[in-house]
Amino acid sequence: MERILRVNMTSRTATFEPMPEAYRNRAGRWLTSSVVHDEVPATCHPLGPSNKVVFSPGIVTGTASPTSSRISVGGKSPLTGGIKESNAGTGWGRRLARLGIRAIVVEGQPKEKGFWLLKVDVKGATLEPADAWAGKRLSEVYPALFARFGGKAKVDICAIGAAGEFRMAAAGVCFNDQEGRPSRYAGRGGLGAVLGSKGLKAIVVDDTGAKEIPLADKAAFDQGRRKLGAALGEHAITKPKGALNSYGTAVLVNILNEAGGLPTRNFREGRFEGAAKIAGEAIFAGNKERTGAELYNHACSPGCVICCSNTWHRPDGNEHTSCIEYESDWAFGADCGIDNLDHIAELNLLCNDYGLDTIETGGTLAVAADGGLWRFGDGKRAIELLHEIGKGTPLGRILGNGAVVTGRAFGVARVPHVKGQNMPAYEPRAIKGIGMTYAVSTMGADHTSGYTIAPEILGVSGKLDPLNPDKAELARNFQYATGFLDTTGHCLFIAFAILDIASGFEGTVEECNGVLGTTWTMNDVARIGKEVLNLERDFNRRAGFTALDDRLPEFMRVESLPPHNTVWDIADDELDRVFAP
Amino acid sequence: MNVEVRLHATLTAARPGLRAGEPFPVELPEGAAVSDLVLTVALVPKEVHLVMVNGRIVHDRATRLEDGDRVGLFPPVGGG
Repeated sequence: MERILRVNMTSRTATFEPMPEAYRNRAGRWLTSSVVHDEVPATCHPLGPSNKVVFSPGIVTGTASPTSSRISVGGKSPLTGGIKESNAGTGWGRRLARLGIRAIVVEGQPKEKGFWLLKVDVKGATLEPADAWAGKRLSEVYPALFARFGGKAKVDICAIGAAGEFRMAAAGVCFNDQEGRPSRYAGRGGLGAVLGSKGLKAIVVDDTGAKEIPLADKAAFDQGRRKLGAALGEHAITKPKGALNSYGTAVLVNILNEAGGLPTRNFREGRFEGAAKIAGEAIFAGNKERTGAELYNHACSPGCVICCSNTWHRPDGNEHTSCIEYESDWAFGADCGIDNLDHIAELNLLCNDYGLDTIETGGTLAVAADGGLWRFGDGKRAIELLHEIGKGTPLGRILGNGAVVTGRAFGVARVPHVKGQNMPAYEPRAIKGIGMTYAVSTMGADHTSGYTIAPEILGVSGKLDPLNPDKAELARNFQYATGFLDTTGHCLFIAFAILDIASGFEGTVEECNGVLGTTWTMNDVARIGKEVLNLERDFNRRAGFTALDDRLPEFMRVESLPPHNTVWDIADDELDRVFAP
Repeated sequence: MNVEVRLHATLTAARPGLRAGEPFPVELPEGAAVSDLVLTVALVPKEVHLVMVNGRIVHDRATRLEDGDRVGLFPPVGGG
């Protein structure tokens, strides 16, 4: 039976409730945003007792559907002050789904200091003291917790690092990958700080003895998952030994650089002279040189057929870190002017260890370099600064609170953010549709809200000119489609295949029908996505956001970006037209 | 005329020892089009999914190239 697990950190009790009828068929982002919308006072302090953190696996998570192990994490963001949903690929959500738990809602706040660990299994849920794990690096915490709770074959772990304990706005929520590495993050928006404010250090999920997820219509489910699987296996981007499997997401470095849309040195330029040295191809070649083998990438979570997660190896061949995603590679690379992969790898590893969002952290370092704290390109100094965050020194507290706080502390006007969240690795002045998406997203600047890069740069689902400003409809449709995909539990990367191969998209809808017993059609995709966005926009409106928050920072209108020497020139009413056509 | 070419991802296999993104010059007859360049430098021309000339995506392969153009060639790539 589907249940919600409610964890009250004031009373330190964990109780199960039946799934409310009003939330029937909701999961993933649709459910986290519903609970946050309905239960969290929009004007509450994100780190106060009224905020909540909601975890929910997607509709098909835990089934035999390919590439479907996403876990959504929601709450009111301490970074943006608005609603947040951030999701990660990990086996953790699969186990939760198999236990029949549609959501965990963490609420309240203990009066006394200290940290607790929540253990969830077939017998129920219990809280125990976790002070012994506080202050330690997650690369120490995870192996110790795996040893204590029976190993990675039995449990998966969600935890916060030191950044979350310090309640820093750049703190993410960490999950382990299939090898048990603390490396898969619901990174954006500071939800790690919200867990820290509630004293919840870790959630260990053990699904031993759980039953298979019941299917309302097995034939529909099987037909759907086969159609999706065929599309993923066929499409050039997602197929085995395709671009994602060979070079990882960092394969994008060279293409964005060539398009003049790779933000460089805190969004001063659109091309980085060191791009080829840090690109996915350089990671592949460097690993081959250091290990003697061609290393193809691995799956971050069970059941993924795309397998895009890389590793980076030290000169002696031993693993340094996993995974250097495109966004992380760019944030510490081009955006910080660093062209040394070993330095980028160390910065990535430290974020995984301290519990930080790599995008916000790299973007913050770039703003700090603009403010004179360090020199762009000095990777060793960047590593020292990251340790300041991990130690919680006064300087580290500033940096750990993100780009806007750091920009204010160092008197920097060039802070590339929307609603307080640093922009990811695509330049709005060179790629207009993604800029519109950043502007109006409920999440703050977020490429995963609607990945218009697919048609604007990659030639997937259409071939558009990135500099063409007529993108309001595109930004709207992609955000609605993403609202649906984030609800299914699928990784956003299935979009590369299903936007080009229609039967794959039909299969995705049919799988959901197979699990839920619904009769959704392709028309329901936009309906559900719109409903998700409307919930989020209503929360943000009640939290005090207006159309004036759906804007890019001023410097992008006045500073032209090489090599195209363009400014952000989208009229405000065009931005307002995205959700009000 | 000469154009400056960069190959990426799997396309680098056409030139052993070439690193992805490493520029090299290609001499073409005056008036050559993007399609001529693709036939000249790609091992399997149909693997070329995306062409950028001076940072602009060129979908029409009949587009004429000019001396000094910077051209990037890509197979299908994705990420995010």
